[in-house]
Amino acid sequence: MSENFPPPGFIPTESAIPGIEVFIPTPPDSGPHQEIVDFKCPQCGATTAFSAADGGLTCTHCSYYEAPKKPIVGRAAEQFEFTVETMARAAQGWGTARKELSCQNCGATTSLPEDSLTVVCPFCGSNKVIQRQAAQDLLRPRFVLPFKITEADCARIARQWLGESWMLPSGLSDIATLGGFTGLYLPYWTFDADLQADWKAEVGHTKTERYYNNGEWKTRTVVEWRWESGRANLHIDDLLTPGSARLSQNLLHQIGNFDLSTLAPYEPAYLAGFQAKAYDIPLEAAWEVGRQAMREQARLACLSQTSTPQVRNFNMNLDYANESWRYVLLPVYVAHYTYAGKTYQALVNGQSGAIAGQRPVDWNKVWLAIAAILSPGVLLGLLGLMTAPLAGIGMVIGGVGFTLLIIGVVIAIAVYLKADRMDDL
Amino acid sequence: MICEVCQARFLPLNGGAADATAPLQRCPQCYQAELVSQALSDEIQPFIHPAELAIPFALSTADIDQAVQRFANGIPFPPSDLTGERLRSRLNRIYLPMWLVDAQVKAEWQAEAGFNYRVISRQERYSAQGWSSQPVEEQRIRWEPRLGRLQRAYQNIVVPALEDHRRLQAALGEFDLRQAQPYQIRLAQNVLLRLPDRPPQAAWSEAKPALQSAAAEECRRAARADHLRRFAWRPKFNSLNWTLLLLPVYTTYYLDDEGHPQAVWINGKSGQLSGRRRASPSRARRAALIWLIAAAICFLISLALAAASTFAPLLLALAVLALTFALLAGIGAATPLLRVWWFNRPASA
Repeated sequence: MSENFPPPGFIPTESAIPGIEVFIPTPPDSGPHQEIVDFKCPQCGATTAFSAADGGLTCTHCSYYEAPKKPIVGRAAEQFEFTVETMARAAQGWGTARKELSCQNCGATTSLPEDSLTVVCPFCGSNKVIQRQAAQDLLRPRFVLPFKITEADCARIARQWLGESWMLPSGLSDIATLGGFTGLYLPYWTFDADLQADWKAEVGHTKTERYYNNGEWKTRTVVEWRWESGRANLHIDDLLTPGSARLSQNLLHQIGNFDLSTLAPYEPAYLAGFQAKAYDIPLEAAWEVGRQAMREQARLACLSQTSTPQVRNFNMNLDYANESWRYVLLPVYVAHYTYAGKTYQALVNGQSGAIAGQRPVDWNKVWLAIAAILSPGVLLGLLGLMTAPLAGIGMVIGGVGFTLLIIGVVIAIAVYLKADRMDDL
Repeated sequence: MICEVCQARFLPLNGGAADATAPLQRCPQCYQAELVSQALSDEIQPFIHPAELAIPFALSTADIDQAVQRFANGIPFPPSDLTGERLRSRLNRIYLPMWLVDAQVKAEWQAEAGFNYRVISRQERYSAQGWSSQPVEEQRIRWEPRLGRLQRAYQNIVVPALEDHRRLQAALGEFDLRQAQPYQIRLAQNVLLRLPDRPPQAAWSEAKPALQSAAAEECRRAARADHLRRFAWRPKFNSLNWTLLLLPVYTTYYLDDEGHPQAVWINGKSGQLSGRRRASPSRARRAALIWLIAAAICFLISLALAAASTFAPLLLALAVLALTFALLAGIGAATPLLRVWWFNRPASA
């Protein structure tokens, strides 16, 4: 018998038969057993926080730096199947003591460090919040995408963003209230699946045929419908589905180009100094949303196999296999700023810096621009009317004016829609 | 005793001990020759007294009658020696041996343990009415590494003791080893024990995998797993003990056309019967000859009637009828030969 038995990484477990010892792999750290983490600098005792710039815990007082303990795993991060057992096995809680903010205005629940003094809801900017201990019965996130963008980057990106459109009020980028970006880890579900879609449909083939009518040969176009069938196999990898309904799904979609190749195993250190949102869309509901996206992809893949685009009586049977999920936290900055007495929200992708949000539109500028766009056409049209008695020249001026008016109307509508969309977000 | 044709060795048992006074008889395995007395080889002798377990003969006389009758029936033109009565009168009882190995094992082992779990998958359907979705529950296996140490005693690991064990088992079917009983004197009355032709040293190569399978099964249970794969171990075996398990078999024979004995084997527990069923070509030829003679007579009659029809034209019809019979009988003469050939072809043996 070898002396170095069992090898490292194995621990004994209960055996059902005497005389037989059984060893199992040492289980990974699980949340509930983890000690409460105190994010204090070991050198000076000040509070440490995760630094997006340095990618680790740093102390603002003495420049102490501590790298994350677990390496980046990226897209190879462990995935879980849809079993009750796996759900039960998933460790729960945040792994460190955190408080929970419950907003009385929008209903959002946010987890934040115990020593956080934040009393403003990051979702709606309301200060009508109450604090309570974070519930431990939520599924614990297993992976996190660390912040890469700093708050200072956010302010710069936001200023640029606020100043990039002529439709926005002058000086918007300089408003003093901007800069209060809150780093927030948002819950997301990722889904993988192999899809096998068997389809059958009537596909229309257009052909020209000759026929004899009233003593002469004529041609006509007819559609001949033939049944076709096929199979499409798709692998869906890391389909992202938001785990929170508290933020505008439209804004999230705009900033949602997260690169999951830098996913890291969850460590409380990543959350030090940041807020984190627990999911409020549970796995089952998120999987329903994810499946809707997958089935649409499968349907389009099947339709792309038809010999012509004319299709009717389309039927499809879709089988899912190797479905798996992950619960991850993705970095987002949320900012609220006030302009003309109204509060606006902006989101910044904490990894890529992509920004989206509401911006106040200076409608005076917009209407002036629309007037300027329409005026050449209107003026020339009027001139054309006035010079109509002069026959030829009047007709030419009127025609040009009418054309410019049509073009102006089209451009004006586009400008209006863009401004309206910017205002509505 | 040894058969000099098939080299099978037998030990007559009577009342649990070797019966040195047993009369010599035909080899109950091949029936090609008389058994010849021979001393037990030193290689085998230490292991065969007494057997540890035996499956008792369980067929009643009626069961045996039914089995041999079923064997003898349904053969076209059977050899004259192939009758149920003859088969019954020549019945011999023999025990086929298997080794039983006991061992103390110490080992380090490792494997992948499989645990069943259920997942909820989906099947969805798109039609003119839109999407419909239904959950599908599937069982899957989660594989996890396991390793450990083992210190166990394994008893009665069964290993073939005959070189032709697999062939015999294929012919006679599986014996239910759970029905084995401790060997008793009453189980060994007037029976021949087929002696092992694989000594323990040769059978050890099969005993080790059997012990490994037994250990793997115990490790699976110890790990509370539903499955186990890629089991590997580093065993040390001690206290090896070899004994015999006896499997009950009846044998008998019949003589085919050429006078060659054809052995018939019957599983002494289940009654499954195995043996080559041969039809008799000589009897078929005799039958064919009778048909040919009948055809020739009909043909002669038809000729006579045809000649007579010149005087009585009505006789021509009878001549045609006789000719038809002659033709049918001529064709029918081939039937016995074809049936026997078909029955004796290698695929039906």
